[in-house]
Amino acid sequence: MSAVQTPARSAPAPTRHRRRMHRPQRRAAIILMAPFFVFFLVAFVAPILDAIYQSLLQTHRSGYLGLGKSTTVFAGLSNYALALREPDFIAAYGRVLLFGVVQVPVMIILATALAFLLESVSRRWAGFFRATYFLPYGVPGVIASLLWSYLYVPGVSPIVSLFNDVGIHLDFLGFHTVLWSIANIVLWEFAGYNMLIIVAQLKSIPDDLIESARVDGAGPWRTNLYVRLPLIRPALILTIVFSIIGTLQLFNEPQVLSQVSSYITTTYTPNISAYNQSFTNNNTNLASAEAVILALVAAILSFSFLKLVTRRRSR
Amino acid sequence: MAGHSHPSPPRGASVSRRRFLGLGVAALAGAAGAGTLSACSSSDSPGRYTTQAKVSKGQRVHLDFWTWVPVQPVVDIWNKANPDIQVTVNVIPGGSSGGYQKMYSALRVGNAPDIAHVEYQELPAFMLVQGLSNLSPYGVERYRKDYVPWQWQQGVFGKDVYTLPWASGPMAMFYRHDLFHEYGISVPGTWPEFEAAARTVRQRSRHHAYLHSFPPSNAAWFEGLAWQAGGDWVRSDGDTWIIDIDNPRTRKVADYWDRLIRDDLLLVENDGTSGWYKAIQDGQLACYVTADWYDALIKDNAPNTSGKWKSTGMPQWKAGAKTAANWGGSSVAVLQGSKYPTQAMEFAHWFGTNIKAVNGTFALGSGWPALAGAYHETIVSKKSSFYSDTAYNEAFNVADAHIDTSWRFLPTNDAMIQHMDDAFSAAIASGSSLSATLTGVQTRAIDDMKAKGLKVRAA
Repeated sequence: MSAVQTPARSAPAPTRHRRRMHRPQRRAAIILMAPFFVFFLVAFVAPILDAIYQSLLQTHRSGYLGLGKSTTVFAGLSNYALALREPDFIAAYGRVLLFGVVQVPVMIILATALAFLLESVSRRWAGFFRATYFLPYGVPGVIASLLWSYLYVPGVSPIVSLFNDVGIHLDFLGFHTVLWSIANIVLWEFAGYNMLIIVAQLKSIPDDLIESARVDGAGPWRTNLYVRLPLIRPALILTIVFSIIGTLQLFNEPQVLSQVSSYITTTYTPNISAYNQSFTNNNTNLASAEAVILALVAAILSFSFLKLVTRRRSR
Repeated sequence: MAGHSHPSPPRGASVSRRRFLGLGVAALAGAAGAGTLSACSSSDSPGRYTTQAKVSKGQRVHLDFWTWVPVQPVVDIWNKANPDIQVTVNVIPGGSSGGYQKMYSALRVGNAPDIAHVEYQELPAFMLVQGLSNLSPYGVERYRKDYVPWQWQQGVFGKDVYTLPWASGPMAMFYRHDLFHEYGISVPGTWPEFEAAARTVRQRSRHHAYLHSFPPSNAAWFEGLAWQAGGDWVRSDGDTWIIDIDNPRTRKVADYWDRLIRDDLLLVENDGTSGWYKAIQDGQLACYVTADWYDALIKDNAPNTSGKWKSTGMPQWKAGAKTAANWGGSSVAVLQGSKYPTQAMEFAHWFGTNIKAVNGTFALGSGWPALAGAYHETIVSKKSSFYSDTAYNEAFNVADAHIDTSWRFLPTNDAMIQHMDDAFSAAIASGSSLSATLTGVQTRAIDDMKAKGLKVRAA
């Protein structure tokens, strides 16, 4: 059966010559794309530019105890210097780095394992399992964190009280444990999403390739390891980059859990730090600088990872 | 948290089921707010300044009132009696849960409401952005005599008055007289006696119960205790702020609680959390030194302990003294940009001093009235069956009269409290001392203020 199938699922060959659009077509294209670009500019580009601009400003105060008139002046990079001098802000990066070193591999391994499992179950059930695994991604991060905090908070959580009854005292929200309780929520939320990206790539592997491996005598394990795994490499790279960025931007889960744990500080992650700078301390300029630093770090990490894997490949 | 004006919600170790939903809404609001983080506008100056508009005879003035306290019924009384000055209540998230940020944003773009609730500890921060109307030109001085002096003083900056006080949180002690009797302890008059009582309760309860608890991340409560000990964390020298958190008076308080924690004499648990209320319900806690607005919280969360509570003053550092402190407090401010400051001020004054209004808001659990002599004139002096048929507010009335009025708040108080929360909970988790964290908290507070362009130095 698979021999009959042509590799139709692989990308179509690029067309040689670009066809010129007719004028009505071009107008339709512009009209149809305009809403996207308007929102992209207003909700994405403009805030980023504004944040960069804000991060370069500082307020100077005058009068009795600085409570009089204030002026906003251009301050160059001094907000950045201020942010980088703050030990708590640097420690936040250490925390998300530790989180990422553990969380990203676990996430990718779990997502890959789930994807392979889906491939091996019968077609009848694949849809059901795929939907089930993907379902948590449909729950907004804040809601997911709230649901999980029900399971973490002593006195409310059935898990904690169940273990309490048999003499095991679990503390999901302690000084050393709360980071991993957050990791658990993130894993629950995003494993299914990452799985879906990998499944999509698995589906694009031509069946005759698998067939020929089987003919060559490879069992299911070997087929997975030596044929499928190398072929889903692009999907793995994509999910790893997503996970690295997601880890650095960690916000919803710790912010929600901070309501129930004493050990999530106001500078727990870089994003929380920027949030509190803006919303507790009303210092938008410093908050913007912290946000821009975060974006830069995420960009640098993602691009260096991409560079690393592509270089290895070309060898 | 819900409907409660004064305490910044304690970041507790656990939360009761009932409170959970409110918490979710707050968290949602927070997450939604994060999206607009960088969209705030640039200047720190208000978009519009207060000027009185002419009001012709028979013209109806509309005022907006932003608050997180459900005061509509009280405002209805005003609206009925004053058809020419109609006040519209706009319920916003609690101050530190996003309410103040909403006000700051509105101030920047020049569409702030005429009237808003602003807590005492947040007033200097509002002064920093010129967010409050100077009420002195509108004759606010004539109201001074109607208010408790120290509360009035919270709104005075330099020579001018910037807000009208509304309610506060004098601190005293709620205690279980049945448990005190059971363990054979008398009401502790001093902190050393309090420590001895804590030891007795531990021993006689066979390590089941505690006299008191310590909240690892509720520095606003600790601030009250430092206040009682004359902590005075901030003062000024000319145009410079002087920050003095790491001082001997505060260290004394920190060391005291440190020792009690180390000797396992305290339940280490944030107050107002489900675990804490459970301890209250189970009689695992025999007393709590706290603000008067805790009366409703204890009553609502531990109805099974009805008739077992009484109140008395805070333990003292000097025998025979009556020095008290305050935790929480709110003013009704006329925000910058109002077109009708005279009318807004008139309403704010009515809201804080009219007997009907005071009774109405006190019943909501608003806290101690700023109205001078309110105790005898309002329902505050009523006896309560939950508090063993005593006029339990008497202790708070005495406290209110003995609050150290020299206390001032930092213009970055919220951030400083958070630094202290972070430092205290870390110190308790790692078994290091509370007083050792004060240096770091002070440095961070100074950094915060520098980052806001203020002249500041350590004492």
